[in-house]
Amino acid sequence: MALSRGLPRELAEAVAGGRVLVVGAGGIGCELLKNLVLTGFSHIDLIDLDTIDVSNLNRQFLFQKKHVGRSKAQVAKESVLQFYPKANIVAYHDSIMNPDYNVEFFRQFILVMNALDNRAARNHVNRMCLAADVPLIESGTAGYLGQVTTIKKGVTECYECHPKPTQRTFPGCTIRNTPSEPIHCIVWAKYLFNQLFGEEDADQEVSPDRADPEAAWEPTEAEARARASNEDGDIKRISTKEWAKSTGYDPVKLFTKVRFTFFIIVGRWMYCCVQSQGEETNAPDQQNEPQLGLKDQQVLDVKSYARLFSKSIETLRVHLAEKGDGAELIWDKDDPSAMDFVTSAANLRMHIFSMNMKSRFDIKSMAGNIIPAIATTNAVIAGLIVLEGLKILSGKIDQCRTIFLNKQPNPRKKLLVPCALDPPNPNCYVCASKPEVTVRLNVHKVTVLTLQDKIVKEKFAMVAPDVQIEDGKGTILISSEEGETEGILHCIHSLPSLRRLIKGRVHISGSIYWYVSSSPPLTPTLQRKGQYCHQGLNESSRELVREEGIEGFLTKVEAGDRFEIRKVRTWIPEAQEQDDVLIVDSDEDSSNNTDVSEEERSRKRKLDEKENLGAKRSRIEQKEELDDVIALD
Amino acid sequence: MVEKEEVGGGISEEEAAQYDRQIRLWGLEAQKRLRASRVLLVGMKGLGAEIAKNLILAGVKGLTMLDREQVSPEDPGAQFLIRTGSVGRNRAEASLERAQNLNPMVDVKVDTEDIERKPESFFTQFDAKVVFCPVKEALEVDWSSEKAKAALKRTTSDYFLLQVLLKFRTDKGRDPSSDTYGEDSELLLQIRNDVLDSLGVSPDLLPEDFVRYCFSEMAPVCAVVGGILAQEIVKALSQRDPPHNNFFFFDGMKGNGIVECLGPK
Repeated sequence: MALSRGLPRELAEAVAGGRVLVVGAGGIGCELLKNLVLTGFSHIDLIDLDTIDVSNLNRQFLFQKKHVGRSKAQVAKESVLQFYPKANIVAYHDSIMNPDYNVEFFRQFILVMNALDNRAARNHVNRMCLAADVPLIESGTAGYLGQVTTIKKGVTECYECHPKPTQRTFPGCTIRNTPSEPIHCIVWAKYLFNQLFGEEDADQEVSPDRADPEAAWEPTEAEARARASNEDGDIKRISTKEWAKSTGYDPVKLFTKVRFTFFIIVGRWMYCCVQSQGEETNAPDQQNEPQLGLKDQQVLDVKSYARLFSKSIETLRVHLAEKGDGAELIWDKDDPSAMDFVTSAANLRMHIFSMNMKSRFDIKSMAGNIIPAIATTNAVIAGLIVLEGLKILSGKIDQCRTIFLNKQPNPRKKLLVPCALDPPNPNCYVCASKPEVTVRLNVHKVTVLTLQDKIVKEKFAMVAPDVQIEDGKGTILISSEEGETEGILHCIHSLPSLRRLIKGRVHISGSIYWYVSSSPPLTPTLQRKGQYCHQGLNESSRELVREEGIEGFLTKVEAGDRFEIRKVRTWIPEAQEQDDVLIVDSDEDSSNNTDVSEEERSRKRKLDEKENLGAKRSRIEQKEELDDVIALD
Repeated sequence: MVEKEEVGGGISEEEAAQYDRQIRLWGLEAQKRLRASRVLLVGMKGLGAEIAKNLILAGVKGLTMLDREQVSPEDPGAQFLIRTGSVGRNRAEASLERAQNLNPMVDVKVDTEDIERKPESFFTQFDAKVVFCPVKEALEVDWSSEKAKAALKRTTSDYFLLQVLLKFRTDKGRDPSSDTYGEDSELLLQIRNDVLDSLGVSPDLLPEDFVRYCFSEMAPVCAVVGGILAQEIVKALSQRDPPHNNFFFFDGMKGNGIVECLGPK
């Protein structure tokens, strides 16, 4: 038996002859590319949309300082050719989510390996590999920890078989009114950046929410606000950015206006700080004691941050002006003035809300979602990826495992812990053989645009969906081709017209087939699995719930209302449960609601008491993303 | 190596920018200790290259790559630090340029002598030494006692594989080679029977198919072991976390990475 680099002949031939795809040329990607080449893989496609940054150089060893700014995929390829010129590598400086990389593209490969750092791309590659029926090796690292696993259609779980914990988000009112942790202030500062210099997003409101009962306005503050709004004209009608531009981004004026969003008495003192910044003659950080940590790890005093606030605004103002009319800045943690802005704004807010301020170093971690990373973890994981890949290519997928790299050995002395792969979840809406989802819509309220954006694209993460009505004529409702169905999309009129057309099924295809049905309302039930929400209520109904609680609401609900409320995702940031459900339905016969048992009501009342008040309120305040729309598993 | 100007904290701005992601993991003090350490690495085949890469990227003060062998025709493409066209050159020398390019802030040196000829004073200049040599004493475990027998049941079979390979090396003066695959395989099996027999252990503990994995370094295995080993060195130099106690065995087929505590009783 002849061996090539330790491989039996058949395997060596498969390895040399087949084409493989590596998605990502960063920490894992560089190591993986090297391992593949050294193991005898001769045809490798490598794709990455990113360019090289100096902070990559501690681990992405195919890159040197002189390459900073260049395409990762391209430089990785060049670097490998230096020690193995015969390697046939195709480098793409592009996003894998580009529709050019369709199912046909994926079908070329005998193996796909992810070396990604974000969920959206992972979901996408997962689906493409399922559609093309190509085995996928998924992996990830963070600090000292890492893992590898194999995904093969019909054999193993896919990446989306079980819901992953959603990323930590914060309720609007916590950000706007009642921050209690530094991260709340940091998120606020990022929102403020966007309001002033970037893309204004209605979900990133920074001004306090007056409807929040906890926002106890002092009379003097209220007066001052009223005066300010009179002085500044009708603030509501122009955007924050336009207003800022009109004052030339004057930091004092800006602070004064923004001051009211800071919301506490100390404001006036802040004002004086900013005023006096022109009088400072000393260099900011002239300390005689030697610094213990990095410069960025120092926590400065309030005055310094006030100064930094105004200095960064000026720099950003200039950047924005240079870009021309209608331009926007995109926040980037590696842009010094953008980082200065968030550091100073967040710290000033922390100080006002009586929190200890944080260093630029720490704020950068939180604001930039930085995951610490080292070379060795990536090296180990990338080695495991190739070994798992060899098992697959030998036809021994039964020997594949999910392997975890831990920091310490477990009680069975294992530092690398292999676990058996699970079979697919038969109810997985992504990989099940006949994936089907029922979506109940309030057809009086939901527009086709909402269906496309909020349900199909956002909730189900479909990239370029086509929606067709199964009416025997194949009527197209939504088309992935631009311009084809624009007319329908932008119609404000809701789905009732659609409802006439739907005899039960609408067919949505992207890479997977879905069924959407508008269905009759459920019989009224009050089921509680977790916490409830008011998603799906119209404004007046929400008012009613706010005032009277859910039970009061139910007794007053009007005959003829048809709606369902179902919480689709986790509301409370800390909650681990997914898809907590409360189905509340009212039917024409409102007396049905009295069928709800006393037991149920009292259980629910207990829940109310246990709930975090802020969180509960936040659900009311949170911008409703799916009015009257829910999805069911 | 030019000393960069210190900007707060005792490291330069360039270092702070480059090492940012690892400073966020193990802290500035650990990074400074790494930065003050010199390491000797003996043997620059696949595993050596992995360790060299990992330590250089981590930012040690200096790394000396010592190897007296020359680059063989199989090596290029089996060791990623060696530029093509280097067959016949000393292995450490052929690795120097690409190794240094990994991180210009590290003082990377080459030594082509035989390590056995080095005086003791040579070794004292290093804070850590990575050597691939038989750790015979550590492996001389007496398995005959009752306690040992119980422990044996829980010991990974890789330990015994290691014993077999070491015996082969001692007997033949070289590692198994694919040129002499036939006779070497037979010898390996023979040694397995002898070794396990003398330990009072059943041959089933190390099934026959172990043989075909004895013939070459596999790049992904080098990557895994090199990664674990390099991290142990980083721990030792930075004095931040306790090292594993004391052997690490990796089985690429099963995906097991096991830490065994082995030593003379």
